[in-house]
Amino acid sequence: MATQMQQPLIDYHALVSGGRVHGSLYRDEQVYERELDQIWHKVWVYLCHESELPKPGDFLRRQIGTQPVLVVRGDDNAIRVFFNRCRHRGNLLCNREHGNADSFRCPYHAWTYAKDGALLEPTFEEGYDNNLSRADFSLTPVPRQDAYRGLIFASVSPTGPSLREHLGQVTEFIDLFMDVSPTGDIDLNSGVQKLRYHGNWKLLPENSLEGDYHGPFIHRFAFEMHSRRTGLNMSSLYENQVPDVIRSLPGGHMVEDYRGASMTPPQRVMTPARQAYLDALEARYGKEKARQLSSTTPPLVFVFPNLIYIMTHIRRFQPIRVNETHVYYHPLLLKGVAAEINEARLREHEFGFGPAGFISPDDIEIMERNQIGVQARGNDWQHIARGLHRVREMPGGGTAGYTMDENHLRGMWQHYARLMSGESDSDVH
Amino acid sequence: MSVDPVAAFLYREARLIDEHRYQEWLTLWESSDTLYWVPCNDDDIDPRRQVSIIYDDHDRLLQRVERLLSGSVLAQQPVPKMRRVVSNIEPEQEAPDLIAVRSNFILITARAGRQELWAGQALHRLRVRDGSHRIVSKKVLLNNSDQEIPLLQFLI
Repeated sequence: MATQMQQPLIDYHALVSGGRVHGSLYRDEQVYERELDQIWHKVWVYLCHESELPKPGDFLRRQIGTQPVLVVRGDDNAIRVFFNRCRHRGNLLCNREHGNADSFRCPYHAWTYAKDGALLEPTFEEGYDNNLSRADFSLTPVPRQDAYRGLIFASVSPTGPSLREHLGQVTEFIDLFMDVSPTGDIDLNSGVQKLRYHGNWKLLPENSLEGDYHGPFIHRFAFEMHSRRTGLNMSSLYENQVPDVIRSLPGGHMVEDYRGASMTPPQRVMTPARQAYLDALEARYGKEKARQLSSTTPPLVFVFPNLIYIMTHIRRFQPIRVNETHVYYHPLLLKGVAAEINEARLREHEFGFGPAGFISPDDIEIMERNQIGVQARGNDWQHIARGLHRVREMPGGGTAGYTMDENHLRGMWQHYARLMSGESDSDVH
Repeated sequence: MSVDPVAAFLYREARLIDEHRYQEWLTLWESSDTLYWVPCNDDDIDPRRQVSIIYDDHDRLLQRVERLLSGSVLAQQPVPKMRRVVSNIEPEQEAPDLIAVRSNFILITARAGRQELWAGQALHRLRVRDGSHRIVSKKVLLNNSDQEIPLLQFLI
């Protein structure tokens, strides 16, 4: 196995070049195992937003690749990420999904840890003949942890680019969806819709960030229903002629930036709460940016490998096996607005998303069929060359394309191939 | 021949949705101020602050049915075969013209080579008028509302 790690048998660059992607990358168990090692157990993985842990003692469970982790807010208000594993015999320390705790007690032999990970009590300590130093048996922190605007990321690899280096240009687009809040702060403590699908994890970012091309076909009915209800007319997206909408950013990130596209903005009934919200936006950002924030859709964003922002929510996902993925939809609420604004955001979210929504379930069904389709090995390539002839190289790196182009998919796959080939971090960025 | 009228109403509702007779199902509802609710994560969440799987007022309920009838729902191609068993029916008179009913259900769906099992409790509020019942609200507590679930692209 070790030699296989050093010398990849598979030429990943050849499998993603020339505007096409090979089918094996969606179905091959060996590829999937390597993704865990080379991607999920190396790069920065999105875990949660700090607003999901408002109080000291609040905790939640997450997973990085195959590895269970525990995110805890301490008495000092710091948020820490630990491997969710008792230092004694490796039992899963905390099996509740989320909650609030004073300390974490392993049910197996009752070793107990403080919120900051310190071992409080190994139980029947006299049996250790003074050779067990409590300080040596704190919970193991995940090697690297950092945050951007409250979004908490972690990496189980001790080395690699910093989070800021990893995010690069995508922070500009994260800022845009955060700035819809008049305080700049979002609230993700809004519950989570959980879904499973029978398909490879990479189908999700591919599908989530290319709604312009498939939208007119699989979402037409829901989009028309949506525009009848809200006045938001998305038909201009079908026109295919708006440049610089589809962005590929260095680091495998993808963006659909609609700010240059003309869309009839949603007509909303003006209420005192909504007026107060618009006034607060203007007070914080000035007239021009406030107008833009309230009249256009913030860009859709994919932060490699597992964070997606779309319209109403932050979506994260977790590969389970080569052909199974779990998806989590967290509605994005705003801090500093009246309750009715956030209530409307929740109802807007449920219209489109989650297992019973009117938009994303059609995507999920398509992805499951996609997974079946790529089992057919004749002409074993997916075509992602749309817009190859008109792609624009951007000054800071990355590319820009027209509304329905696939330059962002090509960018993501090239980044993927570099990681899978084990190229050094400095080459990757 | 004599099934309790409340039980008979729930059985009929179950049959209509299992057989995808959505328009007929709508006639079982009051025509305004209704709520069709499937909470997410917990049974008792505050829907103004926490997301639900379904939180349909009457307009959204009509949209849900309109979409199911449109032929555009990919997870309804082919249409799933569905049968549910409704049991443990416990009605309670809440007001002179209002009955609150708890019932349990087990639903089996089959489609595209997969059979799925859904289970939970339904809480109906039924208005009684001239001897007939109309649904004011239906809250469905899924056993697995806090788990990763498959698509729910049918009526539950």
